[in-house]
Amino acid sequence: MGKIIAIHSYKGGTGKTLLSVNLAAAYAKMGKKVCLLDMDFRAPSLQSIFELNGSDYWLNDYLNGACEINKVLLDYTPRCECNGTMLVGLANPTTEALRDMSAKDRKWEMRALGRLLSLKNSLLNDMELDYLLFDTSPGLQYSSINAIVSADVVIVVSTIDASDIQGTKRMTHELYDLFEKKTGILMNKVPIEFLSTPLERDSVSKRFENTHTLPVLKIIPCFCDVLRAGGTKIFARDEPNHPFTQHLREIAAEIEKF
Amino acid sequence: MKKPLGRNPAILLEKIKESLDRLNEKMEVFIEIQKGKKQDFVMQDLPEALDVMTLLSLPDHLRKTAVTICKLGRATAEEVSEHTKRARAVESGYLNQLVLMGYLKKERKGRKAYFFVEK
Repeated sequence: MGKIIAIHSYKGGTGKTLLSVNLAAAYAKMGKKVCLLDMDFRAPSLQSIFELNGSDYWLNDYLNGACEINKVLLDYTPRCECNGTMLVGLANPTTEALRDMSAKDRKWEMRALGRLLSLKNSLLNDMELDYLLFDTSPGLQYSSINAIVSADVVIVVSTIDASDIQGTKRMTHELYDLFEKKTGILMNKVPIEFLSTPLERDSVSKRFENTHTLPVLKIIPCFCDVLRAGGTKIFARDEPNHPFTQHLREIAAEIEKF
Repeated sequence: MKKPLGRNPAILLEKIKESLDRLNEKMEVFIEIQKGKKQDFVMQDLPEALDVMTLLSLPDHLRKTAVTICKLGRATAEEVSEHTKRARAVESGYLNQLVLMGYLKKERKGRKAYFFVEK
């Protein structure tokens, strides 16, 4: 049985989407069957990253009960240059859709949770996917919590920003722990001078683990060329020898063991 | 033609067992009400939905049961207890408490009671 992974963070701009996209591509490169869903209905971004035209149906339609999930999924495998399978589900980026999604009531959110929970059957059981990844909206949003409740594993992306670390700590106690989720932290954009020796790397990792009381799966240094690419390059696909891609492969392996 | 109950001991015993099961469930609800009397959880305005924000606001023991029902869709106390690894009677108590709080619905099919979220 495959795994559902929700990628979440307290603050925006931590690198959730970049990591989700590259993690999905890394799994597909490893020959896995993977599906990435854009669960950030406030600021959808997968469409521009994957340069896809969209489909007749969006994830919004699936959650509205207007279609089944197979109508939403786009096959990115041919452009992913991988041995596995890579499917993508997009959120509708139009202003009208953003407005519509922000006005949903509690009853709708409850039904949306039911639709997300049923993906375990339709995607992991029936389509035999290895991984289903949810790229979520930051903080305490309905769509993010729905994704977290539906997931088997939660990966929290945090920077070294003090407010980010404090917020992540609060969410650990007030969100992830309450739903008894297996949770791991990815420290992202860590200045390279903090990690210049293995000893320093270990000490940074221990410091974060003590703060969060959660395992730190990986400390990812701040790569200027990743930032410079402006989210237009999928490193796991285009730059197999880049150190960022190496980190992604290690994260993928860590999650597999998790 | 329906046989009189008194002439068939097996049916009679079955009926007695069913009644005892129902009585047991009512007792479990009663115990839960006594436990939570201070909180006065039998609310005047019943909540509309068991959404994630509501799940977050529930006490830990009820959240576990409620999330399990959300995952299973529709289940008996026995099925919930298999997931939560807690005793069936405990889950029965929690499920009935969630029914009283207005978050779950209960439907009886023969001897089994099914709990579900009304969508």
